[in-house]
Amino acid sequence: MASPCEVLIDCNDKLLANNIASAIAKEAWRIEDKYSRYNIQSVCGQLNEKAGQSCAIDNETFLLLQFADQCFQISNGLFDITSGILRKIWHFDCSDNIPTQKEVSHLLPFIGWSKTSLTDATFTMLPNMEIDLGGIGKEYAVDKAILIAKKMSTYPTLINFGGDIAVTGPRNENQAWLIGVEHPSLKEKNNVMVKIKTGAIATSGDANRYLLKNGKRYGHVLNVKTGWSVEEPPNAITVAAPQCIQAGFLATLALLHGKDAELFLSDQDIKYWAIR
Amino acid sequence: MQLTDKKNVKALLLTATTTLLGTASVQAAETKADEWQFDTALMYYGETDRVTAVEAIIAGSKQFGNDEILSLKLTVDTLTGASANGAVAQNTPQTFTRPSGKGQYQIKAGETPLDDTFKDTRLQLTGQWTQPLTERDIWSIGGNLSKEYDYFSAAINSNIARDFNKKNTTVSAGVSFAFDQIDPEGGIPNAFHTMLIGDVDSSNFASDFDATRKESGDDKTTVDLLLGLTQVINRNMLVQLNYSYSASSGYMTDPFKVLSVVDQQGISQTYLYENRPDSRKKHAFFGQVKYHFDTTILDTSYRYMMDDWEIDSHTVDTKYIIPLANGHTIEPHFRFYTQTAAEFYKPFLLEGQVIPQFASADYRIGEMDAMTIGMKYGIPLSDGEHLSFRIAYYQQSPKSDGTQAVGQLNDLELYSKVDAIMAQISYSF
Amino acid sequence: MKIISNQKVWLLIGVLSLSACSSLGVEPWERDKLAKKEMLPNSAPIDAALDDHIYFSKEASSGGRSFGGGGCGCN
Repeated sequence: MASPCEVLIDCNDKLLANNIASAIAKEAWRIEDKYSRYNIQSVCGQLNEKAGQSCAIDNETFLLLQFADQCFQISNGLFDITSGILRKIWHFDCSDNIPTQKEVSHLLPFIGWSKTSLTDATFTMLPNMEIDLGGIGKEYAVDKAILIAKKMSTYPTLINFGGDIAVTGPRNENQAWLIGVEHPSLKEKNNVMVKIKTGAIATSGDANRYLLKNGKRYGHVLNVKTGWSVEEPPNAITVAAPQCIQAGFLATLALLHGKDAELFLSDQDIKYWAIR
Repeated sequence: MQLTDKKNVKALLLTATTTLLGTASVQAAETKADEWQFDTALMYYGETDRVTAVEAIIAGSKQFGNDEILSLKLTVDTLTGASANGAVAQNTPQTFTRPSGKGQYQIKAGETPLDDTFKDTRLQLTGQWTQPLTERDIWSIGGNLSKEYDYFSAAINSNIARDFNKKNTTVSAGVSFAFDQIDPEGGIPNAFHTMLIGDVDSSNFASDFDATRKESGDDKTTVDLLLGLTQVINRNMLVQLNYSYSASSGYMTDPFKVLSVVDQQGISQTYLYENRPDSRKKHAFFGQVKYHFDTTILDTSYRYMMDDWEIDSHTVDTKYIIPLANGHTIEPHFRFYTQTAAEFYKPFLLEGQVIPQFASADYRIGEMDAMTIGMKYGIPLSDGEHLSFRIAYYQQSPKSDGTQAVGQLNDLELYSKVDAIMAQISYSF
Repeated sequence: MKIISNQKVWLLIGVLSLSACSSLGVEPWERDKLAKKEMLPNSAPIDAALDDHIYFSKEASSGGRSFGGGGCGCN
């Protein structure tokens, strides 16, 4: 997952803590191996490789894709796991190298979750389309890790996979977990301290990934419908939700609302911390 | 399915997630921050043959949406028993008039004179409002009202704190202003007036007694300044440094305390009501280190206080929190205190000598060491509730400030030790 | 009567705060132990309030940690 992962267990039992940590590490690697888009042998890699054909899928993959489908519906099509191919023309290296409308228009036909079809045993998409579970995979792993931690002990446990965080419950003596959200791309003064007793938080945004042309800033958050940068999204947004996968989705969805990101979250009565 | 724009994203997500993760019950992510949290405590304090006090506290605090905190605290305590009246022990029985003028009490030969009329109930209400001003400034304002039968006190305070260096350094400054009023039954005795000891049943005793006293009560005002620095040293260690200045002016004499005037044989001739300066300025330096070992926590503090009554004091206080395997905690506590005498402290006065401007025989402003040894046992209960028991032994050892005893006083106990037990039950929910 | 000059005190506090700014402290994610309630400077305020009240009424010194007790005729 290319980011530091940690498991914090509030207890004095070293042996049990080790057992829980290794079980969680094992699960994290399993999910990574299964759904990484960089690994051509992974389920994700194979589905992309065989785009245009009807592919058999297992139950876990079906559930994940079904969740992605629901995210697409809930977000009115803003959240779309087929949008990854826009990366072919958008390289956010702080240069002025923005794509042309022609390049963008050329890619748009290969984007759109509605162009795929999902049954409980098969998945089919158009040739040249790609899916990317990066937007929900890490958060899914966090939630799975929480389930393991809860099964193995009653000790308060915190799972942190590269800033996507969930806890099994309050710490000993009902104390909240105190989490410093620090985004590597943000200045130190923008750090946020978050207190949670239950549930999860996830952070989206990267202030260092943008293009600049003629004084106009193009951030890395892309609108799948137009293929262009979303205007004025927050630099980063941290969202609290009962489960990490929800928090992750909501953080991403908020960024896709651009300058209305905070409005969208507060309208929905969702707890968040935004950095602009 | 195309959904309308304004939909309940949270509820829809919940269904989606439940399917994905197979989690039937999904908890809310919000903390219980907006509920009242209560701390309650009941304490018993008992000195051998002297004062007994019972104190009950209920404190509630509530956090609001923007991290404002409201704290309210109600304290009730009752005090009964006997307290040293300042006079020296004698080889013969002694008779004293009660501070109210209503009746007398006798002290046996060889015993430290104790006035057993102490009985009071105090009610105190404290409130504090704390709120962030900016991301790194916190401001707080509070007040305090306290009332007992013959005493009233009101105080207001305000404090501001600023964080630096990733919140590793906090600097704070505060000010407090207090007003105290004393109105003892029987009035306030005139400074150095002789205690009237005669026939309390005689017809003119009451008017003679009143002649030794002022009709009205008196008051004092106190201004306190507090500067603080909290510094995180490393992952395990925290240091707190405070400087405080306190200036009181007004009535600071104890209207219930007397001094024995003795002759060269050490025999008491009369008892004079004490008199203290009407101004006192104190400086205190307080340092505290908290160190988190692997599982245990050491909490040590030191305080140096000096004032213009020439009292110097040193206090060392150490607590050591040890978590047990069952989740309970055990916490040994040790405190040592030592003070020098006020410049006007006199264990007694000699007959025939000029009466000084100020004098008091109150052992609490004399030279003294004190020690506390205690233990606390904490039991975390379900849902954040917490129960703890605390017991401590406190001993005061008053000492001579160098005053040479005369006559029979050489063979009597002028500086008797005071032993006390404190027991406390606390419950938080 | 002894009164120490206020200037000295300010100077002392000043020097302490200056030295504190150097390389002391932790990163936000290293606050696991410091974030415990037991690591607050005044981690047991009720115990401290009860103790302060006793010592205020039995000894000549008070305060130091916070405002100097008082509010009772017990001293």
